[in-house]
Amino acid sequence: MNVIWAIIRKDFQMEFRTKESITAMWIFSLLIFVIFNFTFEISRLLLLQISGGLLWVAFIFSGMLGLNRSFQVERENGNLRGLSLTPADPGLIYFGKFLSTTFFMLIFEALIFPLFIIFYDIQLSLVTLWIIPISILGTLGFTSLGTILSAVAIHTKQQQILLSLLLWPLITPIIIWAVKTTGDVLAGELSAAFQPVMVRMLVFDVIFTTISYLLFEYVVQE
Amino acid sequence: MNQPVIIAENLRKEFGRVVALRGVSFQVEEGAFFTIFGRNGAGKSTLLSIISGMASATDGRIRVFGEDPGERTHRHRLSVISHESFLYDNLTALENLAFYGKLYQVENLNERMHAVLDQVGLHHRRFDLVHTFSRGMVQRLTIARAILHNPDLFLLDEPFTGLDQHATEMLIGLMDDLKSQGKTILLTTHDLQIGLRLSTSFMLLERQRVVETGTSDGLTAELLREKYFSLVKTSEAGQ
Repeated sequence: MNVIWAIIRKDFQMEFRTKESITAMWIFSLLIFVIFNFTFEISRLLLLQISGGLLWVAFIFSGMLGLNRSFQVERENGNLRGLSLTPADPGLIYFGKFLSTTFFMLIFEALIFPLFIIFYDIQLSLVTLWIIPISILGTLGFTSLGTILSAVAIHTKQQQILLSLLLWPLITPIIIWAVKTTGDVLAGELSAAFQPVMVRMLVFDVIFTTISYLLFEYVVQE
Repeated sequence: MNQPVIIAENLRKEFGRVVALRGVSFQVEEGAFFTIFGRNGAGKSTLLSIISGMASATDGRIRVFGEDPGERTHRHRLSVISHESFLYDNLTALENLAFYGKLYQVENLNERMHAVLDQVGLHHRRFDLVHTFSRGMVQRLTIARAILHNPDLFLLDEPFTGLDQHATEMLIGLMDDLKSQGKTILLTTHDLQIGLRLSTSFMLLERQRVVETGTSDGLTAELLREKYFSLVKTSEAGQ
């Protein structure tokens, strides 16, 4: 636990000092909301249908910025190699990076969600609270794969392009599920498929987190 | 006779069709200062990567403290210093040491951090961010990071790269200290003068092979240079 906590603390210390990721993510999300809100004249019904996708576009694209930045600092002075040379279990190093990115994204999502509600005048109800487990499950799926694939891409010159190429096809299912369930929640009605989809997201997270944990040692080897 | 800390037998490393090491064998005994000389591309850094456990050999056998380097049990007894600092630019000197100290589970970490910062002459800059440091200061902090967990074996991969004269002398002084403490040191360099000044034994790598090994007693940089160039010529002629 010490290793995981040390990595999370280190990542947050650096982010609060530089505010590089949060600034970029915030501006990016704001731009998405502004463009969709003022550029396209859409009816309320259509807005409710696309709102889930809109929110997750902001979450995921901003998350990509955060993920890239998170591993950029590990690349700068050979730090990932430095981490791998310590006696710390590579799996714990993976969990440290995975959880720090996840916490960071969840904090960001909690900040951006009220803005989304205001911009699109979403009616709040008790059902809206389901957005919390959906965000957690969707974000975990994104960061579990994003963390290991960032470690793969870190050794290449085209880090950002490679990460996108590797990550997008793999996270497509969980993004689709997250968009669908978020759409239900924002519309204020949970469909019959809601619960099975949530279970699928949970299973996806467990499978990919376990695989990534087991493979991380081989990924960081030269 | 001291126990061997590193035993390498017939090591071979291939990256696809590129051969990085061709049957390299050597031993480093406890307390020795062993220098590996060689030109760029001779295989020095690959060899260090294998010893540190960051890469595995395609063929051959390697033991560090009697174990496969891939095992993590002896990692706390090992430290790597290279031209890469492994430091975070946006953390202070103290925060960097605290981070690595936790990963190495250093006992009495607070006291130890202050002691090593004092040792490398950076205690007065402990609250400053690393990105405000000069190259020489970064290397001094790298040394502090490397000695923090009091390892028994140091792997130094071209540590003098980019250092000014003052920083180079400081690093040499520190290596002398480590040597007198009985630590085992393995240095890779192409600087024959510095390498010979420090080492007790050496090995010459040329075209991914060992072409010469010996002790440094009575050997001058000039003699080694002559020998080195004659071996390089022979090796090139044999290709």
